[in-house]
Amino acid sequence: MREITQYCIGQLAGMERLFGTIDFPANKAMMVTDMTIHNCSVLKRLLLPLPLLLATFSASAQIEEFTPVTNEMLQQQPSGEWLSWRGNPSSWGYSPLDQINTDNVNQLQLKWSFALDDTGAVQAAPLIHDGIMFIPSARGVVQALDAATGDLLWEYRPAPPTEEFINSGAGTRAAVLPPGSFAGVGRGVQKNIALYGEMIYAATETASIRAIDVRSGLLVWETQVADPTLGYFYTAGPIIANGTLVTGITGCERYKDDVCFITGHDPLSGEEKWRTSTVARPDDPGGDSWGDLPLRFRAGSDAWVAGSYDPEANLIYWGTAQAKPWARAVRGSDGDALYTNSTLALNPDNGEMAWYFQHLPGETHDMDEVFENVLIDVEGQKSLFKMGKLGILWQLNRETGEFIKGTDIGYQTIVNLNPVTGQITYRDGMIPRIGEEINMCPSTSGFKSWRAMAYSPDTSAMYIPITLNCELATFGPTERQLGGGGTGPVRRVNYPHPESDGNLGELLALDIPSGEVKWRYRSRAPINTAALTTAGGLVFAGDWNRTMLALNADNGEVLWTVRLSTSNQGFPISYMVDGKQYVAMPAGTGGASWSGSLPNQLAPELSRPRNGSSINVFALPD
Amino acid sequence: MNNYPSKIGMTALLLAAFGVIGSAYSQGDITIWDGVYSTEQATRGAVVYSDTCIACHGQDLGGNSNAPGLVGMGFMFLWEGRTLGAFFEKIREEMPTDRPGQLPLQNYLDVVAYIMQANSFPAGDEDLPRDVEALNGIAIASKS
Repeated sequence: MREITQYCIGQLAGMERLFGTIDFPANKAMMVTDMTIHNCSVLKRLLLPLPLLLATFSASAQIEEFTPVTNEMLQQQPSGEWLSWRGNPSSWGYSPLDQINTDNVNQLQLKWSFALDDTGAVQAAPLIHDGIMFIPSARGVVQALDAATGDLLWEYRPAPPTEEFINSGAGTRAAVLPPGSFAGVGRGVQKNIALYGEMIYAATETASIRAIDVRSGLLVWETQVADPTLGYFYTAGPIIANGTLVTGITGCERYKDDVCFITGHDPLSGEEKWRTSTVARPDDPGGDSWGDLPLRFRAGSDAWVAGSYDPEANLIYWGTAQAKPWARAVRGSDGDALYTNSTLALNPDNGEMAWYFQHLPGETHDMDEVFENVLIDVEGQKSLFKMGKLGILWQLNRETGEFIKGTDIGYQTIVNLNPVTGQITYRDGMIPRIGEEINMCPSTSGFKSWRAMAYSPDTSAMYIPITLNCELATFGPTERQLGGGGTGPVRRVNYPHPESDGNLGELLALDIPSGEVKWRYRSRAPINTAALTTAGGLVFAGDWNRTMLALNADNGEVLWTVRLSTSNQGFPISYMVDGKQYVAMPAGTGGASWSGSLPNQLAPELSRPRNGSSINVFALPD
Repeated sequence: MNNYPSKIGMTALLLAAFGVIGSAYSQGDITIWDGVYSTEQATRGAVVYSDTCIACHGQDLGGNSNAPGLVGMGFMFLWEGRTLGAFFEKIREEMPTDRPGQLPLQNYLDVVAYIMQANSFPAGDEDLPRDVEALNGIAIASKS
């Protein structure tokens, strides 16, 4: 009962943040102890004047039927649900449903579509529970839709931060995105959300975490994790691991007297339980890996892609981004720069680091390794698979962090990989000097991005969205002062990859664990979504040029295509409601190089509409 | 007999060398230090910038992980030795990334003026010329 009291008081505190001080007699707190969690939101409705509610909710239908999401459900996802951003805590991107399969996929029909806000880049990872779709989109919006019909059940739209809030920051107000600005890339993008108990958890463009009541769409609590005026924000949402809410921050490219981190929170109250730096501080173990750079000049190591969780080991696996500025010569150290470009294994209860594996020590070309961690048991080896921008598929022992295998897909020209030790060495002449042009594949856009790969246990293969590209790159200097830094400027000339036949997009199927190429599908435009695998023998993905695809997972044959409103962009999912299987694909505008400069410069005959963000849901005929 | 090249000859040699390494302008051209935009234009450009550029390039024009900074050392590294015409064309062809080239021409010019103001290049009495040829005659150079 005490927990429920805290929960409801937390809800009311959240309401205060939204609407200002609530006149709330002290004796009401006693009432709260007798209420169910559901009734907290009812209590708030009684307390709040109606016009205030109307001001923020254009739809406020209550969700009546809802089973609270438990740890057990998250760890063993019920068939037909999609409870975490990649479907299961191992991040396979795999649906065990097979109603839609290689025999009938060509009959897929649009069942419903729903327009999402065109206020910024949509790169959504929807969730499904009890026949409800929860979908995040730009500028902090979360919507709950009937997953079978597309009816809007509620929507949450955050109020913009107040002047008082912005002015109370320690940094520059310049870092906070004004209301109404198009959030094309970075700040304002919202990839994934988490679902636990009866709350949706979202991480925000102003470096806070929000809990939203799953039945009403009302804000329950909001916890400020970092100061957005120093540059901090979130694009990745939280995950739940052993009852802890875990989130990784980004926006760490500018110089400041702090570094990037991952935090664990109490989901009931938002209270921070632990904080683990993703950068080795000067006096920490590994602190000398940045040379003698003081803390303020140790930038980067952003944790901008959500992690995975292994309940058996009770470890979360989280990637970190490259050091900033990107080039060693610009950041002023040729050390390894721990824990940048690493996979971190953390205990979700206390944040302690069980192990780390640094994929690219002293990385120096913007070759990010931050992406998804796919947990697979292969031939008795509890493994973790990851691919970064260089297109090296890493297999690590996820209990110890030891290197097992590395598969270079063969497109990069920057490093050599020692297949026994997993150590990389830079090829001759490939460490950039300031002002000297180098010719490199991939470009700073990378072969791999946040568009997550998917694993199918049926084919024992990994399906990897790739973009092929190269670059003439000249790295330049930046101001080494507080508020300065950043990535450093790069004069860049993108050009097509010599092995691409003029194509930018590739969906690559690799056998696991051999790493042998099973098949490749190529497209003129970048493959612009995560991959989705299903037990129906299918892999779904979509390209920038609006074409959504279903392929035979076994041989890469294209079995079905459809054109969407704008670029396929985000994380496709599959689910079942009342015995019917659905496939959902987000479309969105905005986005960084894969959806901007690369197609614009290297496939200039293609174009996409400037609006049209949407979620599109397909099923077989009734 | 004087074996040293004349002062005039030396200048010519230097200018020739400068030409070979790719300078798009020569002595006598107008530069960004000559007051080529107006304060009013930069003010209009600030509004365009806030609506369409700020999310990626930042309110302080310092850029983020996906977008280059537009001020200071980074701006000069990317653009010194080129012309304002080239800078304008780059923006007009590729920005904003969600709808490249789709803003009104005047908005692109105004935002260039705003970026110049943010770099503390001096304002003058007139707006930037609307003609790319004329913009190509304005050099981006360090202060001499």
